[in-house]
Amino acid sequence: MLCQVCKKKESTIIITQVVGGEKTELHLCKDCAALFGDKLSIVSFSQFNLDDLLSGLLKAFDLYGKEEGMVQSKDLKCSNCSLTYQDFIQTGKLGCSLCYRDFRRQLIPLLRRLHGNSEHIGKIPHQAKNKLDKINQIKKLRKELQEVVIKEDYERAARIRDEILKLEGVLKKNNAR
Amino acid sequence: MPDNTKSLLKQLTKSSAEWINGSGPFCETVVSSRIRLARNVENIPFPQWAKEADLKNIYEIARQLIRENEFFKKFKMFLLDDLTPLESQFLVEKHLISLYHAREKYPYRVCLYNQEETISIMINEEDHLRIQYLLSGLQLKKIWELINQVDDEIGGVVDFAFSEKEGYLTSCPTNVGTGMRASVMLHLPALVKLNRSNDILKAIAKIGYVVRGFYGEGTEVMGNLFQISNQITLGLSEEEIIDNLEKISKQIIEQEEKARKDLLKDFKNNIEDQIWRAYGILSTARIISSAETMELLSKLRLGVELKIISHPDLGTINKLMLLIQPAYLQMLINKNLSPAERDIQRARLIREKIGNKNN
Repeated sequence: MLCQVCKKKESTIIITQVVGGEKTELHLCKDCAALFGDKLSIVSFSQFNLDDLLSGLLKAFDLYGKEEGMVQSKDLKCSNCSLTYQDFIQTGKLGCSLCYRDFRRQLIPLLRRLHGNSEHIGKIPHQAKNKLDKINQIKKLRKELQEVVIKEDYERAARIRDEILKLEGVLKKNNAR
Repeated sequence: MPDNTKSLLKQLTKSSAEWINGSGPFCETVVSSRIRLARNVENIPFPQWAKEADLKNIYEIARQLIRENEFFKKFKMFLLDDLTPLESQFLVEKHLISLYHAREKYPYRVCLYNQEETISIMINEEDHLRIQYLLSGLQLKKIWELINQVDDEIGGVVDFAFSEKEGYLTSCPTNVGTGMRASVMLHLPALVKLNRSNDILKAIAKIGYVVRGFYGEGTEVMGNLFQISNQITLGLSEEEIIDNLEKISKQIIEQEEKARKDLLKDFKNNIEDQIWRAYGILSTARIISSAETMELLSKLRLGVELKIISHPDLGTINKLMLLIQPAYLQMLINKNLSPAERDIQRARLIREKIGNKNN
């Protein structure tokens, strides 16, 4: 089998990662495997460092992109903090929370590789929860509004409309903050 | 240096944290449990890329917490720039800050901690906030309950960087999602002695958990103490991460207990001899390195855990593990010591703490 990164040389090393019962394999030639650093090829427990795994992955992903010509990631820049995607590849550290939005397409395959998953299912902070609750409430009210309009209950419809406007106002105010 | 900082440091050399008192569930194998949460403030660049004004903004949050929030009123605070390298290293050895936090160069790094030294909040570390909670023994569920409250308190004051899809957003994508690293510190002398530890630890690595040394990521295993923690932070809930880690820990504890029984069955005299020799050296030596001390303290700990010796207790052994570290030792004696001088002072300190009570 050819190396999955350079697609030129015969692969001699297989890196296996099992996350959440799902096994992924990466077939690499000797040169590309060297990108992953010595520490991954010899699994040394005490010295095992996530950053090494990350920087190896980043370099490999960067090569993937170049090879397939699909990710023109070099010129990407975060609209908030101006960090370039190239800076991220080199340091493994993102610039600000909005980098996650602006580099989303590039980050998703990386997150899948690191975590076996790319969607959060844990705790939601109150601030976000309140926002979500409000959005859901608006959705519910809109549906109700349609129903009462069909029934021609205009007095109730007006009340629901006011409530929706009020909730939207709160959301807008919070976003602007 | 502000006087307040000096007196706080002095207090810290005398006090000891709850997590080293050697109690807690499964304390014969589990020294301590820890959870840390990585949190950032919305839209402000992460510390590595932040401007001085941004870092100061984050620092002001810490001051505001102490000033205005009832929960944090009794917390103490250090500005790391006020500390000498030795003093920062001392806080690392006390597990109040990370090595990374101590060594970074940017300004406005802060350590906020409570009187019991169970909670510490690192401000402007790799992320804006790193909240950690430590307790003795295997108590991950309890810690999650407690740290969740601390997190909510802070979340009531600032808006965290959070997205519905990726969860809590962190400087490094290895922490994104829950932002949670949960870990347990296990003492596994019998598994090491019987050469069984490697297979078990290899198996752990395969299921998304990693093994680290005494002071966390990138540090060495010493005194047969292994820190096991989750690697995956995204796509699992906090409860799942903790539940898995607790299950894994219990399996390792079971294996360690079995190995201890096997050791006692096949090499009882030999093990007893090693434990008493360790006690002999520690209670009489005049020069001793920290590496040798950690190794011998592990034997002594095994002796207590197997009820071969009754003195010192686990709490004293845990405390010694910290006291004999280079910076702690120098802080205690209140002067800079060369490595050779440290070895002499270390031996003296250990004799003071554990000498002449068993005989």
